[in-house]
Formats: sequence, structure tokens, C-alpha cells
Amino acid sequence: MKRRKFLILGSVFGLSSSLLGKKNNNVVFSKSLKSVEKTIQSVQQHLFPEGSKIPSARSMNVTQFLLETITHPSYDKDIRLFVIEGAEELESREEGKFTVLSEKEKERALRSYEETHYGSNWLSRIMTLTMEGMFSDPIYGSNVKEAGWKALGSYGGLPRPTTRYIKL
Amino acid sequence: MTSRKYDVVIVGSGASGGAVAYTLCKAGYKVAVLEKGRLIKRDEFSKDELAYARRDIVTPNLFEEYHTIEEKVEGKWVATPTYDSGWSFWNGNIVGGSSNLMSGMLHRMHPDDFRLKSKYGEIKGANIVDWPISYEEMEPYYALAEELVGITGKYEKHLYEPPRSTPDFPQPPTKENVVVKLIDKSCKALDIVPLVTPRAVLSQDKGHRNACYYSNFCGSYGCSSGAKGSSREALLKPALATGNLTLMSNTYVKYLHAGKKDEVEYAVVVDTVTGKEQKISAKIFVVAAQAHESARLLLNSSNKHHPHGLANSSGELGKNLIFSAGGSGQGELHKESLKHIKFEDLMTTGLFVNRSILDWYFIDHWWDGTFKGGSVEFMFEHQNIISRANKNNEEDGKLVWGKALGERLVERFIQSKSIRFEIFNDWLPNDDCFVSLDETHKDKYGMPVGKLRVEAHPQDGKVGKYIAKKCEKVLEEMGAKNIYSSISSAPPQNLVAGGCRFGDDPKTSVLNKYCQSHDVSNLFVADASFMPTGGSVPYTWTIYANAFRVGDHIVEQLSKG
Repeated sequence: MKRRKFLILGSVFGLSSSLLGKKNNNVVFSKSLKSVEKTIQSVQQHLFPEGSKIPSARSMNVTQFLLETITHPSYDKDIRLFVIEGAEELESREEGKFTVLSEKEKERALRSYEETHYGSNWLSRIMTLTMEGMFSDPIYGSNVKEAGWKALGSYGGLPRPTTRYIKL
Repeated sequence: MTSRKYDVVIVGSGASGGAVAYTLCKAGYKVAVLEKGRLIKRDEFSKDELAYARRDIVTPNLFEEYHTIEEKVEGKWVATPTYDSGWSFWNGNIVGGSSNLMSGMLHRMHPDDFRLKSKYGEIKGANIVDWPISYEEMEPYYALAEELVGITGKYEKHLYEPPRSTPDFPQPPTKENVVVKLIDKSCKALDIVPLVTPRAVLSQDKGHRNACYYSNFCGSYGCSSGAKGSSREALLKPALATGNLTLMSNTYVKYLHAGKKDEVEYAVVVDTVTGKEQKISAKIFVVAAQAHESARLLLNSSNKHHPHGLANSSGELGKNLIFSAGGSGQGELHKESLKHIKFEDLMTTGLFVNRSILDWYFIDHWWDGTFKGGSVEFMFEHQNIISRANKNNEEDGKLVWGKALGERLVERFIQSKSIRFEIFNDWLPNDDCFVSLDETHKDKYGMPVGKLRVEAHPQDGKVGKYIAKKCEKVLEEMGAKNIYSSISSAPPQNLVAGGCRFGDDPKTSVLNKYCQSHDVSNLFVADASFMPTGGSVPYTWTIYANAFRVGDHIVEQLSKG
């Protein structure tokens, strides 16, 4: 299946023409990203809460990691848009109040969102991006003090990277 | 535009390009190797999972360079660009190519693989032919590759182990995880003979290369000790030391120009950093860009003398592309149910699982029948942490999150270890597996991209499933849980060959027995493109061996003037 079709399948709005038009406009794109930052952070914190056997989203700087990751040139530009659109759609479903819902209500909202093909894909993407932060080398700004690796008893190999993305 | 003159220009710096360059430079000839990717030196490699395993950092960005892949959807061929599917067909576009990133589990092809049609006859819908050379002609080069690349192992006599001209491997096997005891014991109980896997990883220092340091992250990553037998470490470095090699990284070859009907005059190349274009001339041109890209380059080199592509008077260029058929399976060894070995020993990281099974390479069974089978490799699940974590976040089609996710991951990582098998069997060449030029899509350099039709023959899956059932029994005997296997007709994009068949008849093959174009005498194709059938083992050892053979022939030709 083609990626774009896959991403928008089941979306209420589809990939909006306004965002697609922003592909080459970094300023507008950054604004869009900023506008959904809190929603994404809130979702990450719900998926990776405090008191778990693995570190929490709150302690691992995963939102900053996610933002830096999807804006890096190595990241797929379609998925970058999808991350933003999916957050906007979640807020739309929850009438702009997702971040202030109780934990129980967030669980309901996310499980309900997961029932849609689109929402399921988006949540899966947010989880993957969050895990990438938690379990990648700390040079990327997350996995603080290797807490992600310690929790799983698995450590990155040697030599460790000295720059991000093999910047020689 | 500038022009430089070399004896030989080689397009591609991977296993085959490196082997030809090594041979020619050692013989005193001036060689230029043109590599699209950049140079990453030994001390610049790291085990950065995000960069090497999860992003297109050592392969092109798919929005800039891509393929279109044709698959049958509801009876019709549908081509999807890989930037749309995310299904990359690139493999390690850096100096040394994908040999930098291999796991290095290698086998020689069996003598009967060279005469598959004679041995097993035709299979309907498959374009099987015998090779124009025998195993005996290739054997000295398998031995040479073993020595130069540094393939380590332990020879054990076996019905399907090809004969050797040397008694044993130049170095003993790499150190092994205790799980091999469990594999050996389980195989023995099932009357199966496990063999030590030959591996292109040094167990001892060799010249400028240091022994393996057991990093736990071998496949998919460059090697930081030089132990892995990559083209870069084993061949290009010594070739550079002769002073005869000019290594041109960041150099994309657009096409080869054959101004005369029977001679390539120059390659038109682009500096991928500056965008500057130039012509590079030589007496001989060797294409070694990886199978589908070599065919694409020759198709893109069409001109008035060669309207259907360079070296394509047969019309066979790009046809009979093959991959490696088979699939994989996995099971979990759990702490509480582990038998015969200690769990803490099992969890020791970095050591190899050097075990293969060749018992089913050829099947001749009173009930199952007589047919070509395949080989099996055992290994641990790849130790990449992000991908392992990400594989364990679903249950019954729903994401697992919250504290339940934490419990699940810790249990999975700390209380168990997954053991895997991979099956390699012949991908039968057929009319629906080939590479051509896409009519509309072009890469960022303005050249038509390769369009790959990738249909498998039904026999491939039957053989894979037959072997997978037997492998699952081995995992059961080992006490593994949650065993599953997956035999797919989807092509593994890192195991590709064919497209420029060699053969004696110019009407039915692209290359002669020395991998020299039937049409253009100063043009060779040295990578896996030449293979009419692929055998039932990973291709790399055969690619190295054949390229040394081709290199020797070119030296002979050059020496005659």
C-alpha cells in the first residue's frame, strides 16, 4: 500500500492541504509543530508513566527528542506531517482539551482513538518515536544517564557514537 | 569536463569491486574505483542504532534516489515507488558497500549448484540453466577469498559440504555462546548434523586488521576492529597501499559511453557533493554496482550503437533477477525452563552462534520426493535495543502501554533470549522477476530509476516451508517457547543477484564465462549479476570468489596488451 494512502486512511480530515502546502516552509512548519507539542508530550507521558519498570517520558526528555528527530533531514517528510496532523486530530476529537483530561479520561480518549485505523497508526508512531529516544544512545538527548538501557539490562555497543547521525 | 586515463575503471567498491581492484592493483595496473557513497573509516564507525539501523544514513534518501517495485495486485502489475512504500532496495552505499554491514555467515555453493538443470531437470515456469563453469574452476578462488577476506571456521566432513583444496580454514572459528551446546545436543537428538558456520570475521589478528572484539552488534554495523572481512578492510586498504588505486568516493556514474560499437570509452560521472560532471576514461570498465543497479547502469547507457542498452544484443539484460528465497523463524529461551545450559551463560553478550545445517540442501526422500532444498543458519535475534523493544508493544492487535508495557519489556529482555533460524533456498529465476528502466521516474541526477518486478516461483515457498518445519522441531527440542516461522515470497533486498547472466551463447546470455560482455570486449560485470542460479546459501563468498576469478582474467588480458 502506498504510504500516503496508508497514513490518511480513516482520517476525518485527511492530510490537510494547508499542511501539505507547508512542506517547504520551515517557519510555518515549526509553528505547527509548536502548536501540538503539548498534546504530543501529554500522550507520551500517558504511554510512559511514572512508576513503571521502564523510565517515564517525563524523566527522559522524549518530547524534545521527538521534535528534534522529526525535523532532522534524515526523517521521512510525510511521517513528519503525519505526526503533527495526528496530534491535531486527537485534539479535534477531544475538543482541544486532551492535555487537561484526567488520566482515566486520557486512557478512554486514546483507546477510542486507537479504534480508528488512523489513530492506531498515529499512536504506534508516537510510541516508536518515544522508544527511539529512550533506547538510543544518550547523545541524541534522551535515554538520560542510560536509564532506558539500564532498565532493560541491554546496552548499546562499543564504540559509542560521538556525533548524531554519523556526522563526520 | 576533465579526463583521466586508467587501465581499469571499476564502478562500485563492494565485495566484487574490491576483489577486482585488489587483484589488478597487486598486478601493477592503475585502477580507479568509483563509489557513489562516502568513505567511513574504521575508527569512524560506531554502534549507533538510530543512525545505522533506523534511518537512511548509509543509503540514499528515498525521495532522491529510489526504485519502483512491481507487484501483482488483483491480477495486474502495479509499480510503487519506494519513497511511497518505504521499502528501500539500497544496501550500504558507502566505500566497501554492504560488505561493511554484513553478518558474515558464508558458505560456498555446492558443485551441483553449478549444474542444477542437469541434476534436477527443468521446473515449469523457472528459467534454470547450468553454469558455464564448474565448481572445480571456482574452487581455487573460494580458497583465495577464504584467505584474503579472512573467513574463519572449522571444516567438518558432510555429505553436502563442498570439497576443498586446503585442509581447513586459515583461522579457527570466532568464540561461541554456550547456546551452541544446546543446539548441538538438540540436533543430535533429532539425528541432524550441525556444522560450524564459516564466518567472514577474524578470530585472530591478521596484518592491519585486529581480531573480533565481540561487540554484540555485528550485522548492520561497520566493524571497529577490522575483523569483519569487508571489501574496504580486506581488499581496498591493501590495494590503496600499492599506490595503484585511485578511490573516488561521492562519485555517481550516470552512464558508460560506448562511442564505438564494441568499446566503452568513458564513464560520465557526477561528484555528489559539488554536482560537477566529468568523463573518466580507461582501457577496461568493470561494473560492480550490485545486481539490479549494474543492469540499470547498462540499460541507461544505451545509444545509437546499443539502442536497447549496453551489452544487450541478447535482450537478456535485466532478466532473471534473483533474490534468496526462504525465510526465518524464532523461539524464546526462558530462564525458568532452560535446560542443559546456564541462563547467565546464555545471556553473555557478543559471542556468536556459529551453527548451520546443510542436511536438507538436497532432498531425496522416499515420501517427500527429490528436490533441491536449502541451508539453515542459527543466530540470536538481532540485539538492536529499539527494534526489540518496539516488537514487544502489541497484544491482540492493540498497543500495550503504561505500566503493563514496562512489565512486558523487562520480562522479555531480562528473563528470556530469542534464538532464530534463517533459511536460504534457491529463488528460481523466472519471467516475472527482472529489472528494467522506469518510463517516468528519474533520480535526482536525472537518470531513469530501476523498475523491479519481484515475483517468486511457487516452488520457492514450498521448499522454505518444508525446511522451516524441520527447524521448528529443533527449536522445540531446545525447549524454546512461542516458536513461529515465516516463509515469504517477498524478496530480501540485501540478497540479490542475476540480471546479467553469464553463459556460452551470446544469444541467451549477457556475459561470457569470464563475466565479460559478449558484445563489448572491454566491459565486464563483476558483481552477483552474472549468476544464472543462486544456490541455497548467502551469495557473498561466491561474489568474492568470482570477482577474484574475473580479476585474474582481466590481468591476463591486460598483460597480453
